[in-house]
Amino acid sequence: MRTQKKIKDLVCPFCSLHCDDIKVSMNGNRFKVDNKNLICAKKIEKSNIKNSSQILPIINNKTSTLSEALKAIKKNLLDHREILLLNHGVDLSGLRSMLSFATRYNCIIDHINSKSLFQNLNLMQRSGYMATSLTEIKNRADVIIVFGNKIFEKSPRLLDKVLQSKNSLCTDVRKKEIILVGNFNTSAVQHIKKNSKVTNIKLDLDKIPRLMRLLSSNETLENPEVLSKADLNKIQKIISKSKYLVATWTNSDFSTAKNPEIIINSISKYIVSYNATKRGACAPVAGSLGDITSSQALAWMTGFASRIKFIGTTFQHDRISYDSNILIENNNVDVILHISTLNPNKIKLNKNIYNIVIGHPNSVFDHKPDIFIPVGIPGIDYDGIMFRTDNVVSVALKNIRDIKLPTTENIINQLS
Amino acid sequence: MITLLKSGNVYDPQNKIFNVKKDIYIEDGQIIDKKSITSKIDKVIDCNNKIVMPGAIDMHTHIGGGKVNIARLMLEEFHTEQNPNFDSTAIIAPSTIKTGLKYIEMGYTSCFEPALLPANARQAHAEMSDIPFIDKGGYVLLGNDDYFLDLVRKKASQSSINDYIAFVLKATQCIGVKVVNPGGINAFKFNQRALDVDEKSKYYDTTPRDIVSVLTRGIQDLGIPHPLHVHCSNLGVPGNFLSTIETIKAANGLPIHLTHIQFQSYGNNGDRGFSSAAVEISNYLNKIPNLTCDVGQIMFGQTVTMSGDSMTQHKNHKHAHPHKWMCMDIECEAGCGVVPFKYKDKSFVNALQWAIGLEIFLLAEDPWKVFLTTDHPNGGPFTSYPHLIKLLMDKTFRNDILHQLPEGILDHTILHTLSREYTLNEIAIMTRSAPAKILGLSKKGNFSHGSDADITIYDKNIKDIEEMFAHPSIVIKDGMVVVEKGKIKKYIWGKTQTVAPEYDKSIEKSLGKFFEKYHTMKLDNYIISDDEMERLVGSPVNINACKHKRQE
Repeated sequence: MRTQKKIKDLVCPFCSLHCDDIKVSMNGNRFKVDNKNLICAKKIEKSNIKNSSQILPIINNKTSTLSEALKAIKKNLLDHREILLLNHGVDLSGLRSMLSFATRYNCIIDHINSKSLFQNLNLMQRSGYMATSLTEIKNRADVIIVFGNKIFEKSPRLLDKVLQSKNSLCTDVRKKEIILVGNFNTSAVQHIKKNSKVTNIKLDLDKIPRLMRLLSSNETLENPEVLSKADLNKIQKIISKSKYLVATWTNSDFSTAKNPEIIINSISKYIVSYNATKRGACAPVAGSLGDITSSQALAWMTGFASRIKFIGTTFQHDRISYDSNILIENNNVDVILHISTLNPNKIKLNKNIYNIVIGHPNSVFDHKPDIFIPVGIPGIDYDGIMFRTDNVVSVALKNIRDIKLPTTENIINQLS
Repeated sequence: MITLLKSGNVYDPQNKIFNVKKDIYIEDGQIIDKKSITSKIDKVIDCNNKIVMPGAIDMHTHIGGGKVNIARLMLEEFHTEQNPNFDSTAIIAPSTIKTGLKYIEMGYTSCFEPALLPANARQAHAEMSDIPFIDKGGYVLLGNDDYFLDLVRKKASQSSINDYIAFVLKATQCIGVKVVNPGGINAFKFNQRALDVDEKSKYYDTTPRDIVSVLTRGIQDLGIPHPLHVHCSNLGVPGNFLSTIETIKAANGLPIHLTHIQFQSYGNNGDRGFSSAAVEISNYLNKIPNLTCDVGQIMFGQTVTMSGDSMTQHKNHKHAHPHKWMCMDIECEAGCGVVPFKYKDKSFVNALQWAIGLEIFLLAEDPWKVFLTTDHPNGGPFTSYPHLIKLLMDKTFRNDILHQLPEGILDHTILHTLSREYTLNEIAIMTRSAPAKILGLSKKGNFSHGSDADITIYDKNIKDIEEMFAHPSIVIKDGMVVVEKGKIKKYIWGKTQTVAPEYDKSIEKSLGKFFEKYHTMKLDNYIISDDEMERLVGSPVNINACKHKRQE
């Protein structure tokens, strides 16, 4: 008979908000999200195992035992010269083991989202930067400018948990103003309008820098060019009354823009200048694939956020030379060890390189990897630690099922 | 296994042993008395011509947490150090591995992160767990969090404030409580740009004096060994010695520890509106029994300043060198600011800061009340401690440097008139026994039976004191030789030192509701259990005793 139980506070590992109020019903090892209308329920339920063969390793398309898979990997690692450890999302323990492994085999480490990560790092590496965290936004922000188009799809609960929370220590939530800048779809705008005053400015994302300059100068122009005079005046008026202004975005929204970095810099620069006399801060939302966990842990262990080559007891960092995209494109690595515990969606594999995947048991591929070892999902199959988008809060993930999957740390330690 | 350290010149200030030729016995990681030896001695380390001291303790060093990581990432271009034994990270923002290696190489065996944000505690501990060799601990930041300020505004009972302090200490696995710019970080979030000791914050209608008073009282009531660790109001502001003195008074005679006091000892006299107030501050330090301080000596060169004091750091960003910086408001708890900075010996202000720190050291009558720190990395990296010790022990060396500083400095400092030279006894006190005592680490900083065998052995034949302190012959941690002749012999991982004063558990219910309503994580997730520390964070905890049972 299957055991049934209710879990009140699942800590979700699947996006960088790491909400810890998810209620699930367990039926044996299957689970169902109980929170009503939880926008990300399907994403969480994707962790249910479809059939038991998914927890077995695969070598060259055939199921195998774990010891055979480990043996095959060890043999291949010894045969190859340049190994890339490509992180598609894992918890802290997985990261720590990756680092020991990289030291042992002189590997290169990169994260699949490094490009986006570096765009935010550039803000503080090149100039001044004012930042804030989620609880500050919830309790202090009275005006929030949201840039982009799909931020709420990437971080579904940003609205109900943070931007439109029903409670706030220092602001009147009914008077909270949200300014949308970019190309938000009508249904998203209507949804936000239900709980906040919304000003929706349709704007080509590449024109954001111009808008930020207009806001900085605070001039009243007859023809502001990028938006109507009425819209500009309206935004200026809202911002002028703000006591705590927040600017938020997600970098991937700018990926189709001509120069995402200029957009991000212009927002940050505006906020820095705004703080000369008033208060406000930036809050980029990042890290749906454990990006923040990866960058934080690597930073304290190496001083760098990503793209590191280990050489004996020391290492080198180079954003271009150790960019996994370039390395793969140029066939400059012999074997790639993909670590992917959070997202079962397609991992892009290059057929010309030996691919080993230590990953989510439901992982699907555009073509089969040479070796696949399914491992536990942090926060579902084992306890772990992950870091939230604001780079401040880390959460303790607790396992909810036991399907006898090894952890990434178990596997990597056996290879080291 | 029993190890004998034979015939060393032993310094054990807590037991009033100064430069006495003595044997020390170690068994199972602890010091043991000769009379309790029941089996044969397995290993003898000849300590003839060696100075034997307990392992050094850095009671104020920024080695973990979000702000340290910001500095590491911000200063990527500084990570160019080439040394085959270590990684390339800069010593002003070193990796965790390098932090441990450099500390142990100098004979430091325990270090304390002084600004641990509750919301960032899990990260800070995880990070510090990856520092090899040393034991570590943290002081949790209170006094700028909205929950606490609301309690003070509402004039909540001292008892309920004490419950909150004790709960947060346990939940965050810390050993002490620190307040940074009391109320000022919070006021900055409401756009106040300064907050003097008796100035009310606009939103919470509360003064820094109120905050310091209730926190010092709470720490006393709870029996927490380390007094309130205070980064005062007006850090770095000319004339701030007056607010420093008012902060001392706010403790109402209860124990209080003022941190990096050098940055708080400035006058505003003279033609440049910046002068030393070391004499005024030292007078207080010497006459008030419950007052202790660490100095936060500055060292010339490039460094990075990192602080919870976002109000001050935002003001200072225009001095950033190189010109980049970051400030952050954090989780309705506090904030942080990271600003790289270069102390220049040609700068009048920086030269006078250097002199003021040394004046405070040399004017302090009791080495049990003054601790040797650079507020790493704010005043300079911790690796400059041997140089600082030489400055204190060698007046000729000190004066030679003083006379190379900008003209006019001598008119603004009394440093050249201070002929005092610290003795090895005093250095042993201020770097070992005194920090152990002030933190309540009864098993550290001494060679009593049952104490931790954390030991540093220096070569007496090395005449240059800086060289001697930089390169001990042997460093022993938990009874194991980890450094010998400058080489790492063994990697080990220390513990996290904490305290756990009593509190009324019902506070968790009301705090739980507060978290549900206003935070973005649940209280359960905020609490770090002992089990989590060991299993996930990576460092077992050692809970130190409180001075007494809770009193109210």
